[in-house]
Amino acid sequence: MTLRRITTVEDLHAYLHIAMQLEHATIPPYLTALYSMHPTTNADAYRVIRVVAVEEMLHLTLAANLLNAVGGTPDLTAEGFVPTYPAHLPDGETDFEVGTRAFSRDTIETFLKIERPALAEGDGRFVARERSSRALLPGVDAHEDDLHFYSIGEFYAEVGEGLQRLYDEMGDDLFCGDPARQVGAAYYYSGGGAIVEVTDGASAAAAMRVISEQGEGLGGTIYDEEGELAHYYRFQQLLLGRYYQPGDQGGTPTGPPFEVDWEAVYPVKADAQLDDYREPGELRDAVFAYSATYGEFLTRLTEAFSGRPDLLLPAVGDMFRIKELASQIIRNPMPGAAGVNAAPVFRGLAPVEVS
Amino acid sequence: MPAQIDHAEAASIVYDALVVGSGVSGAIVARSLAERGLRVLVVEAGPGEELSVADYETYLTRFYGAAAKDNNAAYEVNPNAPMPRSPDVRRLQPGHPDSTGYLIQNGPYEMDSTYTRVLGGTTMHWEGKALRMLPEDFQMRSRFGQGRDWPIGYDDLEPYYRKAEFELGVSADVADQTFYGITFPPDYEFPMHGLPKSYLDQLVARDLDGTEIRLEDTTCTLSVRPTAQARNGVPNPAYDGGKGYVPVGAVSTHQVDEGGRCQGNINCVPLCPVQAKYNARKTLAASLQTGRVDILTQTIASRVHVGEDGQISHIDYQAYGSTTSPEHVTGSLRARMYVLAANPVENARLMLASGLPGSNGLVGRNLMDHAYLLTWALMPEIAGTMRGSQCTSGIEDLRAGEFRRRHAAMRVSIHNDGWAWPTGSPYTDLIALVDDANAYGAAVRRGLVDRISRQLMLSFMVELMPEPSNRITVDGRYIDALGNLRPVLSYSLPEYTMDGVAAARRVSRRIFQRLGAEDRTSYDPLDTGYVGHQGEGYIIRGGNHWAGTHIMGESSHDSVVDVHQRSWDHPNLYLVGPGSMPSIGTSNTTLTLAAMSFMTAEHIATELTTRPTVTIGG
Amino acid sequence: MADDNDVLAAFLTLSATLTGYSQFRLLGTGQAEPYLATTRGAVGDDVLDQLLTTSAAVHDKAADNEEALDRGLRAGILSDDKLGPVARNVIKMWFVGTWYQLPQEWRDAHATREPDVTHVVSPASYTEGLLWPTIGANPPGAKGQGYGTWASPPLIDVP
Repeated sequence: MTLRRITTVEDLHAYLHIAMQLEHATIPPYLTALYSMHPTTNADAYRVIRVVAVEEMLHLTLAANLLNAVGGTPDLTAEGFVPTYPAHLPDGETDFEVGTRAFSRDTIETFLKIERPALAEGDGRFVARERSSRALLPGVDAHEDDLHFYSIGEFYAEVGEGLQRLYDEMGDDLFCGDPARQVGAAYYYSGGGAIVEVTDGASAAAAMRVISEQGEGLGGTIYDEEGELAHYYRFQQLLLGRYYQPGDQGGTPTGPPFEVDWEAVYPVKADAQLDDYREPGELRDAVFAYSATYGEFLTRLTEAFSGRPDLLLPAVGDMFRIKELASQIIRNPMPGAAGVNAAPVFRGLAPVEVS
Repeated sequence: MPAQIDHAEAASIVYDALVVGSGVSGAIVARSLAERGLRVLVVEAGPGEELSVADYETYLTRFYGAAAKDNNAAYEVNPNAPMPRSPDVRRLQPGHPDSTGYLIQNGPYEMDSTYTRVLGGTTMHWEGKALRMLPEDFQMRSRFGQGRDWPIGYDDLEPYYRKAEFELGVSADVADQTFYGITFPPDYEFPMHGLPKSYLDQLVARDLDGTEIRLEDTTCTLSVRPTAQARNGVPNPAYDGGKGYVPVGAVSTHQVDEGGRCQGNINCVPLCPVQAKYNARKTLAASLQTGRVDILTQTIASRVHVGEDGQISHIDYQAYGSTTSPEHVTGSLRARMYVLAANPVENARLMLASGLPGSNGLVGRNLMDHAYLLTWALMPEIAGTMRGSQCTSGIEDLRAGEFRRRHAAMRVSIHNDGWAWPTGSPYTDLIALVDDANAYGAAVRRGLVDRISRQLMLSFMVELMPEPSNRITVDGRYIDALGNLRPVLSYSLPEYTMDGVAAARRVSRRIFQRLGAEDRTSYDPLDTGYVGHQGEGYIIRGGNHWAGTHIMGESSHDSVVDVHQRSWDHPNLYLVGPGSMPSIGTSNTTLTLAAMSFMTAEHIATELTTRPTVTIGG
Repeated sequence: MADDNDVLAAFLTLSATLTGYSQFRLLGTGQAEPYLATTRGAVGDDVLDQLLTTSAAVHDKAADNEEALDRGLRAGILSDDKLGPVARNVIKMWFVGTWYQLPQEWRDAHATREPDVTHVVSPASYTEGLLWPTIGANPPGAKGQGYGTWASPPLIDVP
């Protein structure tokens, strides 16, 4: 699949579907890192990652609201919606790997790359280079070289501008979606930024702002318009062992210090695949049951984003169950691999072959 | 520390108001005054490192690790500002006061009610029921010939109830809460929709709704109603004329963004792990946003001083650096208005310790609490007990009516947490299964489901009228680590209340019969709280709903404070909180005292902004 | 049982029989090692060794015969003066994360060790107690099941 720069509503649908895929793609890595921590340890680190994961859920929901608003159909059960980890994301000239791995300094470094502030402007948005088969962002069809977004930030910048171009052309006709499909504050609140129901140009811009600024802190500041610390800097706090506070510059937080215990972690198998669990038994059953439960969760979200926002309430219950199942798996040893623990696999309901 | 101020600096400032106590009353007064441009100092005797999620989670971890999970288990033992703890209560022998716990129990009835001395006060362990009082509760004397009338009525307080419902973030639906004279303005909506009834509630309602019960000459038709709760639910978009409501999450002065909707952690008391339940730290955090509120924790108001003009001149404090050492510094704090918002016991204790029993000697008297009768049974089927918030529904139909001329009214809560309160379930069930029933393996699993998932517990909250002999005093023999006088409690349960208790037990039998539930209620005469009445015995538990001790009235002869909660004796002193309530009906006191705090704050602000400023040298 | 892994494996075998939960579920709590250490600390190496050796013998002898296992367990462990109270404590510990002080009779007859006091093994052992999932609930104060889940019948998996 390739993308071209947004000129039609269909282009916009494609971009927004990818946006949902991208927002979701960060969630299994964040959750794996979270669940790998020993319970009741590392409270600060746990909270920091948890908040970001919750906000990725918010972004996913906002992307669904945007897609619904312009007449699209969110589908989290589509073939390929859930990536195979490690997946690749663009970071300037090269891609980087995003996997489902234990909490560690390296893992946090990867998270920093995911949330890295946007750098390039205009045509600098694209970079020509080889494309990885595991890349999460499609290339851009420019009739010539393989062009790629410089980073996720650039991708969103294109979504924002494309939305604006289409709105300038079509006016309110762009927002032809059924308002009943919008998720509003009644069914989504978390303290981590507000949900926006998208019904017009202003609300679409507001939703885009939350998605892009909450991650990267657009415009070179560490806080977004609502005073929320950008995800990049939230993660950076873990490496620096200190909280940011308002007034701080990026890189030099001056808030309260805190300890991170990098050892209080289950050494879970990196980028576990269903194929890693061939030996019949409870562990294998649990990992497959987990993957299926995760798939049911994605099905529930798809229904919620298709006119049943009230289903987000039980979806939260699903998340708690998912965590419980994952924790059980993570505390069991990986058979035949000394010093490695099992890890959950996020495949969903997609057909699975185990050879 | 949430405040950017030290004691020396605070002592050099003459504040507009000095608020003693950081619980819900003090927090609301502080926030309200600060939002009107006034400068406020709040002193809290207990600790509270900072307004952060990390601080809150130390409480949670302490609770997880505590072998005895009583309602103050989350809070460290602090000899410098001690608090009553229910495991300290002993069966009293007549004539022998018990000083095991902080509260000296002088009897004859031993009371297991507690309160919490930490930043945020007892809202750090309250359950979160947010009930309005019934209009007839304000007129007990004139309507039923019992207790006292309030100097104000329901209609006077109604606008403030709405403010309180906003501040506390109440989840409820108007249709469910309109009963027995409670009215709302047209188009009123609660901030959030009511929490869903638990599966257990639904099973009870299925058979119980419509059952008629007679209390004296009153016929009461029972129905299971959702309970109004200060707990985040689904925001109501129609709130405030369609403006909606934004729930308040976890308290934090730096960003962590925890907290949100109730998840059903079944642990409202003592501690909601996600701060879905209101606690006064939410109001304190908002008050700090004004920039006009300073908070000093680990700061005990030790003595109130009165000048020759009868006005309060200053309040002495003791500030300690560590809960493990009695080392402390002392000084004095000054303000134009003084607000004691400690709680009924501590307000009275401080006044009495300062030699201020009131010109009519009423300070400390007329102490009230709800008398709780717990009854329990096994449902005939799996009811899914131990899930939800602690209570999602109750029965309101025994709260009102002419029977109140003869005996106390009562309100029933259906407990989603099963028999935890009366029997110590599920721990006691596990121990009985393993140690006595000799079960192991699958039999333990089946046994636990059979014994716990069918549990139904009804708590009957029975009202109690003000009696001058129920009181807090002080006694030089009893002091705490910093030399402050400890409260001495003299308390008995009046006939009027005990007749209500007897009626409650009869009602509970009827309910269990109607449900086909196996009544497993039993009261051990050797247990604390055992009370005999007309040949029957009951265990009565305290409700932690301390009230009275500085009761409100129309005249300085028979009350301590006026309708504004202002001391009759000292015009610049306000005694705020449930201590001012002349009766408590069958409502948990918090919503009403929150409403009263708004009313009083409005009055204090008017007094302060319309009177000339007098600066006392600092 | 010199090897630590063997001791843990023996402890898990016994625990699975005593609790009715599989070794996967027991390991899934993350509490196997702390509970083994708590038991060892409270009763000492000799009693622990005797418990696990007896358990291994009972399991071996019963092979896959459940009835034989039941009889062997009651005869060899649960009704044994020394081992019975310890086994019962292990059950309780798995279900609620609390080590209960052994009966005074046991302490007088066998050992009075300082760690044998009623205590919650750790904050995590409280939240990982098996009692709560057994009844389709969550430990009070942790792992809430989500807004409104309480309105539905409980999810209970009874063997």
